[in-house]
Amino acid sequence: MTPTERWDLRLYTAGQSPKSLAALSNLKRICDEHLAGRYSIEVIDLMKNPRLAKDDEIVAIPTLVRKLPAPLRKVIGDLSNEERALVGLQLRPHK
Amino acid sequence: MKATQNPLPETDVDLAKMRKVMEESADVCRAIASGEVDAFVVGDDNSRRVLLLATAYQRYRQLVERMAQGAVTVTGQGNILYANQKFADMLDIPLAQLYTAPLEAYVGMGDRARLSSFLIMSTRNSQIELAVSRRDGTTLPVRLSLATYSDGYATLLVTDLRPVQWPSLTVDALDSIRDSLEKLNQGAIGKDAAARAALDSISEEINGLARMIDEMLDVGGRAGRP
Repeated sequence: MTPTERWDLRLYTAGQSPKSLAALSNLKRICDEHLAGRYSIEVIDLMKNPRLAKDDEIVAIPTLVRKLPAPLRKVIGDLSNEERALVGLQLRPHK
Repeated sequence: MKATQNPLPETDVDLAKMRKVMEESADVCRAIASGEVDAFVVGDDNSRRVLLLATAYQRYRQLVERMAQGAVTVTGQGNILYANQKFADMLDIPLAQLYTAPLEAYVGMGDRARLSSFLIMSTRNSQIELAVSRRDGTTLPVRLSLATYSDGYATLLVTDLRPVQWPSLTVDALDSIRDSLEKLNQGAIGKDAAARAALDSISEEINGLARMIDEMLDVGGRAGRP
């Protein structure tokens, strides 16, 4: 990961379900802490348009997809386990 | 031979794909087991939809069930699919009795055609005022507001249009307290300067409360209250 690398993240949510809101809150916190100023988050509400789940083959919600930097990565869940989220996003290496 | 020199790249790619799918599946199972997800996407490309776990809307349900406004969801045929306790209270009918009953059964005969048109023609946020029938035969003026309409189901918010009663009761209570204080003031403690000052302070606070209630009610006739 280079310090100027741009991160495009997509969070799939189910309206304002508690886990979706928790995931968004946790994601913002993680990004502000580790990717300050070089990330964008796109929130896709699958309650409004379930067909969009096909794009990234989403089965469980919330799911975070790292679109950039490549390769594409998915982290499933509300990101409450920060260590797991960081490893999933490859912001931290596997132990 | 060329074939043996090639390390079967397609198989490697397939294996990598399978490994990725398995890892994702394992991650989904882990997330479910640890309670980190509350919704699932089901169906094929033509009928994809989202299923929420019960816990995902539990808080919304509590909100709707406890709010001070009636809420009722009716099917395309006008039958009650869901209603909150407040709506049942408005009709003075047990909640369980309302489920599957036609909504129009609780609307006066004269308003039924209007209700029917409203349910068919209305767009979101449109409103209609009519009278609903209570168990004891009396009627209650209400405003129905269409909150949502989707998949043939209409969710209506029901507002009681009767004048608010409690503020006037509060004003009466404040008047009573003020009279009592006045009597005290004119009585034994009237000569005690400290007690008089305390009474004046309490009287001032009561007058302030009364003015506040007048403003809430926006009642011109009471505006001259001391």
